[in-house]
Amino acid sequence: MSLVEEAEQRALTRSCAQAARLLMQHGAESALVEVAAKRIGLKLGADSVEIAVMANAIVVSSLLNGHCITTVRRVLDRGINMGILVDVQRIMLDAEDGKIGSREIEARLEALRPFHYNRWLVVLMVGAACAAFARLAGADPAACGLTFVAGAAAMAFRQQLAHWKFNPLLNFCLTAFVATSIAAQAIHFDFGTRTPHIAMASSVLLLVPGVPLINSVADMVKGYVNTGIARLVFAVLLCLGSCLGIALALRVWKVPGWL
Amino acid sequence: MELLASILENAALAAVAALGFALMFNVPAPVLPYVAAGGALARGLRTLLVAGAGLGGELSTLVAVSILGWVGVWWAQRLRSHPKVFTVAAVIPMVPGVPAYTCLMAVLEISHQGFSTELWGIAVENALKTFLVVAAISVGLAMPGLLHYRDRPIV
Repeated sequence: MSLVEEAEQRALTRSCAQAARLLMQHGAESALVEVAAKRIGLKLGADSVEIAVMANAIVVSSLLNGHCITTVRRVLDRGINMGILVDVQRIMLDAEDGKIGSREIEARLEALRPFHYNRWLVVLMVGAACAAFARLAGADPAACGLTFVAGAAAMAFRQQLAHWKFNPLLNFCLTAFVATSIAAQAIHFDFGTRTPHIAMASSVLLLVPGVPLINSVADMVKGYVNTGIARLVFAVLLCLGSCLGIALALRVWKVPGWL
Repeated sequence: MELLASILENAALAAVAALGFALMFNVPAPVLPYVAAGGALARGLRTLLVAGAGLGGELSTLVAVSILGWVGVWWAQRLRSHPKVFTVAAVIPMVPGVPAYTCLMAVLEISHQGFSTELWGIAVENALKTFLVVAAISVGLAMPGLLHYRDRPIV
């Protein structure tokens, strides 16, 4: 095998690994990670690409002219970012359409930076989402307003703790404490609501790990049982962390829970 | 008439909730209208099936989310992105958050107060409900891949 070929194979393996890592880090299900890495590798000229998806690492092997290169990438959870998923997918599709070559694929994958919405816009909309949940559960307008305040404050708090790199489990526990503490005041003081318990339950819904739960079942249905189990366990732990925060707030403010 | 009003209210509230989560998940701005429409569609359909046709919550979720799954395939091919990019945020308003918390709160309460059949019953019922609805959502979204796009990619 010539040196040029070997350098090329190295580059394509790196591109596959980078695409798979970006997808895995930003909340894609395992099937999408495997398929995307394979399609990029085959387009770049590999004879075959094999990928092992694990909960917090990926292994990529490419085969070209009987020569094999294997590489491992550590996957650190970077939070859900659908924008990155769209970008990686578009790079893959552009490559398949023959619009970009291997150099450009590598350059574009390296240059990808996650886009984030303005944090106060997110805080506002998540508060509105929690209020909508309260209304869906049958809360009166005063309880919806209270849920908006509690949900928005909790989201701002959660973003700040995430920014300070707190452990997610601890973050969820403390955020649930904050949300429940605000909503629980409706039981001590009269805010004109007859449904304070719906406000308490709805203001913590921003902490339900919906994406890990959905990805977990999707992975297991499609045969990626190991990543599915890992996602499920982490989602349950996040729920448990939130519940500890809620229970703590209920004890501190001496209000009855919703059981 | 009352049914129609309830469906429209559910759909509108689900669209707001889906948008809130879409911003949290950093869904690109051009895709946001699809998230809102998808959230309204799935939740509205589920309300129709539960209140109008008298189906159970889990089965209606499966049917409603399957339909969203197929609509998602159509949108995904137009947008050149994987359907999950917008369908996941759209179904978040249907994830049973309160049952999930109620189950774990009951478990915590058992460790605090000691075992009682009542608390254990609450825990098991809510755990099953959470699991079945999440499974219905997830399988519903995967339906096009399981039935039609078995050996070829959607996008």
